[in-house]
Amino acid sequence: MKKIDPELKAVLRDFADSYRVKRAKALEGYDFEDLRTALADLKDRALERNPELLAQFEEKAKAHGGVVLRARDGDEANELILRICRDHGIRRMVKTKSMVSEEIGLNDFLIRRGVDVRETDLGEWIVQLGAERPTHMVMPAIHLTRGDVAALFSAKLGRPVPDDIPSLVRIARGEMRREIFAAQAGLTGANALIADTGAIMLVTNEGNGRLVTTVPPVHIVLASIEKVLPAIGDAIALLRLLPRNATGQSITSYVAFMAGPHRGPQYVILLDNHRSELLADLPFREILRCVKCSACLNVCPVYQVIGGEAYSHIYMGGIGTLLTAWIHGLRKAKDLAGLCLRCHRCEGSCAAKIKIADLITALAGRLRKETGAPAWKRAAFDGVMGHPGIQRAAFGTARKARKIVSGKDGFSRKLPAWMKKYDRFRALPAPAARSLSSLFRKDFVSAGAMENSAKGTVTIFGGCLVEHFYPEIGMAAARMLAKLGYRVKAAPALCCGFPPANAGFEKASRKAFASLLNRMELQGEIVTLCPTCATMLTKRGLELADSEKARELAAKTIPFSRFLLDRERESLEKLMRKERPVQKATYHDSCHHKHLSNAEGASRTLVEAALRSAIIEMEEPDRCCGFAGSFSVENPEISAALLADKLTAVEKTGADIVAMDCPGCLLQIRGGCRRRGMGLRAVHTAELLDQAIGED
Amino acid sequence: MVTAADPVNSRIEKFIDKAVAAGAEVIRLEGQGAAIAYLKIFLRDNDVRSFLVSPELKARPPFREEFIGALEMLPAGELWADAGIVAADFGVAETGTLVHFDRSDEEKNVWTLPEICFCLLDNGKIVQDLEAIAPELSSHLARTDLPSPQVSLVTGPSRTADIENELTIGVHGPSRLVILMI
Repeated sequence: MKKIDPELKAVLRDFADSYRVKRAKALEGYDFEDLRTALADLKDRALERNPELLAQFEEKAKAHGGVVLRARDGDEANELILRICRDHGIRRMVKTKSMVSEEIGLNDFLIRRGVDVRETDLGEWIVQLGAERPTHMVMPAIHLTRGDVAALFSAKLGRPVPDDIPSLVRIARGEMRREIFAAQAGLTGANALIADTGAIMLVTNEGNGRLVTTVPPVHIVLASIEKVLPAIGDAIALLRLLPRNATGQSITSYVAFMAGPHRGPQYVILLDNHRSELLADLPFREILRCVKCSACLNVCPVYQVIGGEAYSHIYMGGIGTLLTAWIHGLRKAKDLAGLCLRCHRCEGSCAAKIKIADLITALAGRLRKETGAPAWKRAAFDGVMGHPGIQRAAFGTARKARKIVSGKDGFSRKLPAWMKKYDRFRALPAPAARSLSSLFRKDFVSAGAMENSAKGTVTIFGGCLVEHFYPEIGMAAARMLAKLGYRVKAAPALCCGFPPANAGFEKASRKAFASLLNRMELQGEIVTLCPTCATMLTKRGLELADSEKARELAAKTIPFSRFLLDRERESLEKLMRKERPVQKATYHDSCHHKHLSNAEGASRTLVEAALRSAIIEMEEPDRCCGFAGSFSVENPEISAALLADKLTAVEKTGADIVAMDCPGCLLQIRGGCRRRGMGLRAVHTAELLDQAIGED
Repeated sequence: MVTAADPVNSRIEKFIDKAVAAGAEVIRLEGQGAAIAYLKIFLRDNDVRSFLVSPELKARPPFREEFIGALEMLPAGELWADAGIVAADFGVAETGTLVHFDRSDEEKNVWTLPEICFCLLDNGKIVQDLEAIAPELSSHLARTDLPSPQVSLVTGPSRTADIENELTIGVHGPSRLVILMI
């Protein structure tokens, strides 16, 4: 279980807020999509030619007088560096920040063998001084306050030091410069290796790169093999995006392109460490496009709550989980993979367009096969979701227990003790008295509403939560569509297969999706009330079932709000009551609705029309509420922290209503409002629209 | 007459905007003579005990004659210089960046070791972006007649935000970067 440190959480949140503003400013006047598409393409081309480019780099670097050495793994790289130290009598080494050196545990390795290794990036230097672990790849000491740093410096210098930041930087500057001048070797990483000239590109802000490479006589470069690019033009393209996306700067203060040795020897160590295996492992190869800008961390809701020390083996966050799986082994990635919400927010800011969340889902499949899964997941996904009959029976049993667990307000009460940790931060809904399909059959079909067919047929796909917990959302949608002149049908009450797919249970997911596909009738459009089901029906399902019917289903499926806005905007507004009240609303972006279906704009327009007022935007409306399916079961503390932030953001708007398009978010936010005693209503967009129309 | 619509002039203006935004100071001067006069007044009016002149400038008249006694590198055992003067080969308008084709470590260190770094920049050498000088960068890096060909891009003074994400100037390199634009 992950502990939440409130102070760290506040620091990370502030950092994320300022980063967002700076990044947006640095990207003004640039088309981020164009820049990152170009970068992803050039990285892909370079990865395709990796062995050839490495050979070219090696030849050119040697022509400049450099020594190029290849290391298969971390142990080999450490031994090579130790040998260089021994050959040149190196007792003191200074370093610039290098994630690759952390990957192989270089500092510890050398220090234990008598080489005094000192970091020179201020953040790394502080972290080393305090024997801490970095919390962020670009900002390693972000978890420490000026007071913490002053205490560390006092302990090192044996005298009190002032705790204002300029004084602290001044003190560190003096100490570090002495260390640099006393060192016999300087070690740097490389942001790029340029094949056609044998040069390395090094990007820093502080200027330590220049000192570390020119003051000590020996220069060692430690770089991983995917850093090689064909020519300077590629490095320039990388440079245009890297600092803008990493720290919101147009460019860092210092960038150096260096070819060959300076006043002493230069060694370039090219580290593989399982990257060749990754190069050959499609679709995972694109992990190696990563330029370590950390933009994904800066927008990651989980990272913002627990920080990089908790969310890492060495590399942090979602991309770190993927790198860890190859570099340090699948088992090391297992716990980390469970920390990803699969909210896909990171993918929108990735400089190299890496599909981080999708790849973590693919990784989850491998993890399950090779390292197993806990019993509850096997029971839920293999046992229940994969078998439609058992699924129906399970929900039927839950419905029977309704009388025991249900309060009058629709929330559960008297839950068993083991469920308390899931119920503490948000009240859980009780199963509905009747499922959507039962309500639909009895009340809707028998009333003849579905026979209206002037505009053709529309099938409502509610998803499991609407079917069993929130059937009123499905009925609201059905009423509305019937009033608009459609013949309305309800999709079969079956799981779409997304939850098992997400947890890596591909077989169960395939089975669930196949059962659904088999029973789906594809007349007219299929409108979804759950963005996650929409993702399954339009995208993920096609990967599981390559059939004409699956393609037809994907083509005909559309989120409810998009359908209404595209086809029925005017008719819908005509249907709405003239005297409906003006209400203040805010809107929560459900992750899949925004990041995968891009339907949040349609929903906002409809909500504003229904309430006759502009939405009051909350802070970071697209930050996950913490539900994320099984995530909230596996990580209740993080889920609770994310929900608390969401509720605070909602509360600050002063709105009467918070609208959203995902029944999962609704479960989380409505339950959270209840626990916090908030007066406002949490509703699905379909319910709001239905209320605006009112009874006939 | 130069107008705002003139591409050369707009590049110069953009360079100045971007350099200042990155924390550099830009002083526009008539020519080398005015730059030397400016430096001499600065050295006279400030308590500058150690002043480095890049080897490249030291070899170039009139700097050779005017700064005949100045140091090219720090004496052994010294860690700091108060001020230094270097010359950039190009300026990049897109980011306010100074570009220097380094030919020796001593030259590189004049950019880094002093508290205040003065840099001469000929405003006719300002290009729009790095792509405009990519061939020059590549051919400099391909040179095998130099001990360590390097291209340095310097934008504003040395900076860090490693403590509490608060921007602080002058961690390893100069705390002031003064561009003397001629």
